[in-house]
Amino acid sequence: MVHPLRDKAAVSGIGETAYTRGTSKSGLALQLEASLRALDDAGIDPRDVDGVIPYFPGGAIAEDFIANLGLKDLTLSAFIPMGGATCVAGIQMAAMAVTTGVCKHVLISVGRTGYSGQRVSTRLQQFPVFAQAAEFEAPIGMFAPAQLYAQGARRHMELYGTTARQMAEVAVVTRQHAILNGNVVMNKPLTVEDHHASRMIADPFRLFDCSLESDGGAAVVISATERAKDLKKPLVTIAGTAEGHPDSPASIAQRPDLLEFGLVKSAPRAFAMAGVGPKDIDVAEIYDCFTFTVIRQLEILGFCKTGEGGPFVMDGRIALGGELPINTHGGLLSQGHVVGLNHVIELTRQLRREAGKAQVKDAELGLVTGYGDMGDGSIAILRRAA
Amino acid sequence: MSQAPVPAAPPAPERPLPTPTRDSQPFWDGMREGRFLLQHCSSCGKVRHYPRPVCSHCFSMESEFKEAPLGGSLHAWTACHHPFNFFFKASTPYIVALVDMDAGVRVNAQLHGVPESALKIGLRVKLGFEPVNKEVTLPVFVAE
Repeated sequence: MVHPLRDKAAVSGIGETAYTRGTSKSGLALQLEASLRALDDAGIDPRDVDGVIPYFPGGAIAEDFIANLGLKDLTLSAFIPMGGATCVAGIQMAAMAVTTGVCKHVLISVGRTGYSGQRVSTRLQQFPVFAQAAEFEAPIGMFAPAQLYAQGARRHMELYGTTARQMAEVAVVTRQHAILNGNVVMNKPLTVEDHHASRMIADPFRLFDCSLESDGGAAVVISATERAKDLKKPLVTIAGTAEGHPDSPASIAQRPDLLEFGLVKSAPRAFAMAGVGPKDIDVAEIYDCFTFTVIRQLEILGFCKTGEGGPFVMDGRIALGGELPINTHGGLLSQGHVVGLNHVIELTRQLRREAGKAQVKDAELGLVTGYGDMGDGSIAILRRAA
Repeated sequence: MSQAPVPAAPPAPERPLPTPTRDSQPFWDGMREGRFLLQHCSSCGKVRHYPRPVCSHCFSMESEFKEAPLGGSLHAWTACHHPFNFFFKASTPYIVALVDMDAGVRVNAQLHGVPESALKIGLRVKLGFEPVNKEVTLPVFVAE
């Protein structure tokens, strides 16, 4: 049986602000700016938005959108507290809302002053899921995602021989892609030597294994395919989407397998919903809070076996022109950190064939993941339906 | 030109401390007494950590804290170089070891007295007790 959500909803609009280090704008203003761009891109009157899923915690609530954009009749207001998995999980919720008729157009937005406002070690503690880590791990000196995820990366290295050179490759290729984009924080070439010489943050993560702290906003509009097909941009449908939560969700330490993220559960669901497999994917935007996180997700997604993610990323395979180009916009590592909504935007551009110098030729089917909140994993498989 | 006023020294950074919950209080009371107490289900006997209200194995809400053995094997680790909290700046780099305790749960704590180069999965370590004030004692690992 074809899944009732398959291709029934579409990414109808995309918008983003400049990605910078330093801004005078608030997180709310950045979200509204990006939202107006996304709605203009879709050709939708802002007043017709009836669902809003703002990033939490991120300085905006759905009511702010009524006040600023004049929404006439908001029928869905939701937060999805899944950290870096939030935005792509929002696609699942929005797809359900527009497919069932609860909403016509759902806005998913992020505005973040991650450089000029609160930095990562402050922000994390606002997450509800952080309570256990705050009680048992912060007192011994474990606060930040870099530290909390480092132990899993170290274990992968010890068990499978994954190397710093392989992690560097993810950073270097991602930077090459960022330079093609134009709207990025990091626009100078990065070498493997630069990576290896960067300061250690939490072993095995060096500075250039870590995503950026930056300022910026991003937004996407999700509409029913029936409505979106008459809008002005090429149609990009949501073929499959899912969220997953790991066992021991609030404590990585107590997780039976440190390397089993929520994506282990959500990826097979999304592939089944879309009726496709990893071999059908032309381009992938993989949540890259850390280089290693990309390597492990490629394994979980089935592009290679567990333990083979390190060798998989080498030899140009993940670069433009390679077998599986990833993070063609520069990702969180080099473009900017808007919690992965920039990954959704880039994948939509690729499938519309609007990706400029980073365009993957003839891209028909792509995949985007979200990862965060100690290991939640969300995924969307998008299809060019124009 | 008059000399610019010397800014007051910022307050010394404070160590983040646990805020025990109703469920976890017995664990922290045990630590203060130098005893490693773990929560066991009163119905099925299964051990669980971090402390929480329900046994996810049999759904019993009755539990008791029992003293557990201190030995364990290294599961994973990280050496923390960047102090995300300034309290830890003076002690960087420090090693945080994740240990499979013989008691059947994992514990994360700093590892003292073992060089980073000697670390490998399965290395035997022992949990010790590090008082940080009158109320709070934190776990710390040392070589077994």
